[in-house]
Amino acid sequence: MQPPDKLLFTPVQRVRVWYFLLLSICAVFIVRLFYLQVIKHDYYRSAALTSQLKQYEIPAERGIIEVQNGKETVPIVLNEMRYTLFADPKIIKDPTRAAQLIHDAIGGDVDDYEEKMKLDTRYSVLAKKLTKQQNENISKLEIPGVLTADAPQRTYPQGTLAAQLLGFVDDEGRGKYGLEQALNDQLKGRNGQLKAITDARGVPLAANNENVLKEPEHGEKIILTIDLGMQQQLEDILKDGVEHAQSQSGGAIIMDVRTGEIKAMANYPTYSPAEFFKVDGKDIGVFENKVVSAPLEVGSIMKPLTTAAALDQGAVNRNSSFFDKGYFKIDGATITNVEESGGSGQRTLNDILQQSLNTGATWLLMQMGGGEINEQARTAWHDYMVNHYRLGRSTGIEQGYEGAGTIPDPNEGYGLNIQFANSAFGQGMTATPLQMVAAIGSVVNGGTYYRPHLVEKIITADGREIIKKPEVLRSEVVSSEVGKQLKEIMEYTFGKNYRAYGGMPKLRDEFSVGGKTGTAEIPNPEGGYYTDRYNGMFMGFVGGNEVEYAIVVRVDAPKIAGYAGTKAAGPIFVSIVNTLIDNFGVTPKK
Amino acid sequence: MSIARRPILLDRPLQRRHRPDYILLLLSLILLSVGLIVVYAISPGLSAQKGVAANYYASKQIIAVALGLVAFILTAQLPLKSLKVVQKPLIILAVLASISVQLFGQEVNGASRWLQVGGISFQAVELIKFALLICMASFLNQRHKEGLLGNQEKTIKPMLIAVGICSFVVAFVQSDLGSAGVIVAMVGSMAFVAGLPMKKVLMFAGIIAVGTFLAIASSPYRRERLAIFMNPGQDCQNVGYQSCQALSAIGSGGLFGKGIGGSVQAYGYLPESANDSIFAIFAEMSGFLGATVLIGLFIALFSRLKLIIEKAPDTRTRLLVTGILAWLSTQALINIGAMIGLLPLKGITLPFVSYGGTSIIFVAAAIGLAFNASRYTTYGVNSMALTEGKRYDDPADRRGHGRSHYAAISRRP
Repeated sequence: MQPPDKLLFTPVQRVRVWYFLLLSICAVFIVRLFYLQVIKHDYYRSAALTSQLKQYEIPAERGIIEVQNGKETVPIVLNEMRYTLFADPKIIKDPTRAAQLIHDAIGGDVDDYEEKMKLDTRYSVLAKKLTKQQNENISKLEIPGVLTADAPQRTYPQGTLAAQLLGFVDDEGRGKYGLEQALNDQLKGRNGQLKAITDARGVPLAANNENVLKEPEHGEKIILTIDLGMQQQLEDILKDGVEHAQSQSGGAIIMDVRTGEIKAMANYPTYSPAEFFKVDGKDIGVFENKVVSAPLEVGSIMKPLTTAAALDQGAVNRNSSFFDKGYFKIDGATITNVEESGGSGQRTLNDILQQSLNTGATWLLMQMGGGEINEQARTAWHDYMVNHYRLGRSTGIEQGYEGAGTIPDPNEGYGLNIQFANSAFGQGMTATPLQMVAAIGSVVNGGTYYRPHLVEKIITADGREIIKKPEVLRSEVVSSEVGKQLKEIMEYTFGKNYRAYGGMPKLRDEFSVGGKTGTAEIPNPEGGYYTDRYNGMFMGFVGGNEVEYAIVVRVDAPKIAGYAGTKAAGPIFVSIVNTLIDNFGVTPKK
Repeated sequence: MSIARRPILLDRPLQRRHRPDYILLLLSLILLSVGLIVVYAISPGLSAQKGVAANYYASKQIIAVALGLVAFILTAQLPLKSLKVVQKPLIILAVLASISVQLFGQEVNGASRWLQVGGISFQAVELIKFALLICMASFLNQRHKEGLLGNQEKTIKPMLIAVGICSFVVAFVQSDLGSAGVIVAMVGSMAFVAGLPMKKVLMFAGIIAVGTFLAIASSPYRRERLAIFMNPGQDCQNVGYQSCQALSAIGSGGLFGKGIGGSVQAYGYLPESANDSIFAIFAEMSGFLGATVLIGLFIALFSRLKLIIEKAPDTRTRLLVTGILAWLSTQALINIGAMIGLLPLKGITLPFVSYGGTSIIFVAAAIGLAFNASRYTTYGVNSMALTEGKRYDDPADRRGHGRSHYAAISRRP
């Protein structure tokens, strides 16, 4: 035992010194806690919220699209959940191994994965459009830094059907081309928002007064006027017709003249909107709904519209005729007839269309000016084209990139008279097939121009139905009498010429079928027109006592022998008429 | 009181078994409950991060507390003299555990400290601390009796070797500098209270300072941590992340806290929310008031241990309880100090409160020993009073005694 007096401090004193030290440290700690929790509370509160409070978009579901199928409607565009696979390269420790694991789970290029996981970024997309099963396989791997995100995707139960008119949705969720573009705002809805305190992985925690929730407004469901069966038939007919005519491309439209509803609208060639990304960069023209977006010189299918204008103006009547020398000299240029060469002779209105007389169209334009092409003729014709038939301006159909076409100004420019003489039979002006089908429809239905449209009904996210009533843009486009007369002339034309088109062994005269070909010159970008190629056009209608459907067909530069309008577009028109009568219940004449 | 004035023979134990210190037990239970409540409250969040059942952590903690109570009962009933017998087996176990950790241990954050034994992870360092506590109490008592405490050959060298080996294993092999600090503080405090000459005390204080400096300078990992400690706000995304998140948790708690279950930082933001960082989570939930109360509870517990030391019947018991006090308090201070940004992060648990079976079991065992010792405290004129030259009852000594009469010196044949 050490004698007590040898110790500098006794054990109890030492314990107390030690304990005092302990208490002092505790006191410092409490002061520090007061500083952190009371004085600097606001600073740390906002510092914590900076990482804890996250803002999310709650994606709205994109509206689906349906088409008519008899008495019911069927979906043509739906949504399906797909997944995007991405990585945070900063977190991935072993890209080689991770790439191998991902490859084993979902296939794909190992080197590509590895490369993407070595990028100097925090977000690197490895793969897109994974299926649910692939997503599960990836999730099972639990590779830190490799994640998937929901990416809803459009699916198309009808495959490529109506591809251009539908358009597609790109990877950023934006509608491109067609309906998807035109009605993007309605289809996509409005994303909701969630501001929430979350855990470190971003999963929102239970109720907290910092949380803010705004529900998404889902996109609207769109019901189209398109008839599934007609669309299928039209696409088949067009494809066969274009191939038969040895052409590369073409288009066709069927419109219900009683309402302006587009029943079918096709372009060839086409693509698969589900795999829009597979379309080669040089082929992106295939995305366009060209019957709506691409105005062209329509050629002789303009003659019926010129005829109706002259009749309606009173410049000619149903019984007017003129002596055709076979040419007209206008301002030093000569108008001749191309398609039919009937020689000189007295020609009626029927003859003008049936023989497709360029001189006839010129004569009609002259009558509108009181016997010569002058300012009055030009202004009157221009007025009919632009204000009555609504050419030269967009129809407002629910499509992206609609083209307007051009009708020359009656008073500005040089060589106006010869230009207008040409325009009277469809050269030197442009219009889209859609504009033409709407215009002829407005004449043969008795004079009412309905806006051509594709949407029959919209159903909002909360279930409200918005029915799109036919919209009259102009009544008395021509008088109903003129409408009837033009119908007759076109019936006469078809009745005389149908054998040349083939496909209809005997005229189906229990129905009203009228039509006019067009073999349009194609402008050469280097000036003038090509001499070796023409676009085949056809414009016509089918119905019973009253006209039901107007049809326009376009075949681009067919190589088949004969006039393009007659040999390339004509057969397609006949097939369409046949199928409308046989399969879609056109009412016969009584 | 006439007995007290008689001359006393100190070669015989001045012990009489009496009621133990139930306040010590109560405080321990309260602290354990605090830990249980916090773990229970954040268990769903932790489980979600790990993908286990929602009450996984809470139920494991309940099992740990139950095992802790068993350990407590064992050490509280064990005759204190028999500790000598378990010394050797404890040392062997500790050595075996250290070797196994090295061979089969789990590596977490570059440090292998855990051993998986049938679903329970076992931390070897807790066993090392416990073994060292018992051995050092016995060894220093022996040297004290022999009057050789200041002897270089007989005391200082063996003590330094033992502490040196233990802290080397813990600090360098298991990369656990925090626990090495606890070991050094524990043994140092015991030697200090035992009566190590002041010259040596100052010398060791110097050695520890130099040793700490070398330990920090020798490892980039520690240098980094020290740098963060100097400026925790600087690099929150990487190395300073845990410090930043701990401060955010504590600071955002405010005066009254976010309430039990109100912790957000536990949901994956603050690493080791249930273990090393539990103080920060508690401060987030309970605010400044709660955090102060928790520190107050620790101080109360330490004061009970201090009382047992002061009234210890003999040197051995005194040293034993001193070691326990030093162990628990140093560990608590290092842990809390790191959380509030006053000390570098060390990765050691907060006694009683932190999630983790090994820590709770050995802390409970240590408290059991102190509880056991509290049965033999002597008031009035006792051995310690005698060494201080007292020969009479000091009424001040009765503070905290809880009885009107001392269980004073009794000499029964």
